[in-house]
Amino acid sequence: MTINLHLKQAPSVPLEAEVLSPNVMAELSNSEIRALVVYHGKRQVPLEEFFDVDGERSYELIIHGELNKVRLIGRAMSRGTVTVHGSVGMHLGALMTGGRIEVHGDASDWIGAEMKNGFIHVHGNAGGQIGAAYRGALAGMKNGTIIVDGSAGLEVGMRMRRGTIILGGPAKDFTGLQMKGGTIILQSGAEIRTGAWMNRGTIISMKPLQMMPTFAYASDFNPTFTNVYAKQLKPHGIDLPFAGSDGTYQRFAGDLSVPGKGEILVWQPA
Amino acid sequence: MTCTLGEVKQRADFIVYWGGNPAECHPRHFTKYTIMQKSKFLPRGRKDRTMVLVDIRETKSAKAADIFMQVKPGKDFELITILRALIKHQHVGDDQIAETGVTREMLDDLVQRMKSCKFGCFFFGMGLSMTRGKHMNSAALLTLAAEMNAFTKFVAMPMRGHGNVTGADVIMRWQTGYPFGITFNRGYPRYNPGEFSTVDVLVRGDCDAAFIIGADPGATMPQPAIDHLKRIPTICLDPHITHTSKLARVHITTAAQGISAPGTAYRMDELPLPLKPALKSPYPTDEDVVRRINKAISEKPFWLPEGSQPQMITAQV
Repeated sequence: MTINLHLKQAPSVPLEAEVLSPNVMAELSNSEIRALVVYHGKRQVPLEEFFDVDGERSYELIIHGELNKVRLIGRAMSRGTVTVHGSVGMHLGALMTGGRIEVHGDASDWIGAEMKNGFIHVHGNAGGQIGAAYRGALAGMKNGTIIVDGSAGLEVGMRMRRGTIILGGPAKDFTGLQMKGGTIILQSGAEIRTGAWMNRGTIISMKPLQMMPTFAYASDFNPTFTNVYAKQLKPHGIDLPFAGSDGTYQRFAGDLSVPGKGEILVWQPA
Repeated sequence: MTCTLGEVKQRADFIVYWGGNPAECHPRHFTKYTIMQKSKFLPRGRKDRTMVLVDIRETKSAKAADIFMQVKPGKDFELITILRALIKHQHVGDDQIAETGVTREMLDDLVQRMKSCKFGCFFFGMGLSMTRGKHMNSAALLTLAAEMNAFTKFVAMPMRGHGNVTGADVIMRWQTGYPFGITFNRGYPRYNPGEFSTVDVLVRGDCDAAFIIGADPGATMPQPAIDHLKRIPTICLDPHITHTSKLARVHITTAAQGISAPGTAYRMDELPLPLKPALKSPYPTDEDVVRRINKAISEKPFWLPEGSQPQMITAQV
């Protein structure tokens, strides 16, 4: 049994729908789900004004439509699944503590911001501030996994403390800004200022990166943890090289300005 | 980490202008506040002060500077980050320093001067805050100023442009707790620049009306934002006909602040200055217009259903 939601009409201004979460809908009947309150701009409207709702009392949500302006989907969810067929707006899965979110389309900024656990997979492109800390907060995502098959925007993993972010496409500036821990894997590299001000944590890039001047080259090596990671990521269709016969990782340490103990590993095929 | 320009005038013996051209953009800044004034603590005036200019090209301000550092365009963030490393005795390679367009000798000299001054002050302009990196460039300089306080007194201050932009920030801050990028749609202020800041809202087309007071986004904002302003009902309050009023549905001419309308303006160091009008204007003041609009709105029915309140987004975690 699932709950199917179809977007009826595109909202003209952002629709804040933090009720689109398994935690909220799991115990509700169909009519109660229809009556849930969403915010269209400042106006409270029932969910049924924007969505056709099929099904009830389920931890599995399937949402269809171009949800560019629908924000806060799956916010603070702790269990269940959300599947989106179409694009989604900002703050997808922000503050979530568990469960799965899958997006067959593009996502926007702040996906998985300050999440504590759980899994997010975006099959299209994503925006900036993935797994980041909100403005003024000290730590971003604390655990969990975010996979984006496409490209990403600015400040990916800003101030993240733990967890894993994997990007298939290129990222823009300030990837891993002020990172405090965790891992970011860049399969297509990133633009400038990667790892700026990082304190701890690991950024792995499959493509050469333009380094910040405050990163120092350390050594070429094949860290043992990469094969553990490779094994974990294999089921998600991500191929992380680790064998010495295929190449080595160049290790850069930084950021000296903090001074931090972060590392950037850049893959060098043999 | 900021102070008033009065303190700069009295005490600052080390002044850095970063990404700005005060000789042409703030012509009275040198003579009134920063380098030319004599004071009890700096009795020889200009001779007791050191001025450094950091910019991508040699502007007219360079003549007034003791030290001019020409940084490569788009390398400000890197240079400031190197400085943050150098003040902590971290080793940065010569090649990495050379990439920013300056030499190790210049940076060593700068760091030595920064650490040995009594009161240092960074002024940063649009060359820093509006180039690639944006808010992080400003954040870098503010962090450097904060970290310099481990050695000596250091402050940082933005060089504000148009009339009373500081005033808008200050008022928003004491009213809501945040200076800009605020939404009230849940009945309480929420802050998220990038999501709720004007230019981003307009570029994404997230608003369905715009009310513009004393600003000209039609001349300064990117094309998608201007196109959206044309699509939606835009109301513009300005003493003059601006680019924005040409694309607005409604333009209300108001009295010019400080000339024919009284009020308070905030100097760039957030010092409030009362304005006394010298002339009478046939036009109403901005305040009059906003109050009348407010009154008309308050007569409309409340936008929420009877008896309900906006719900806070609770953290739930």
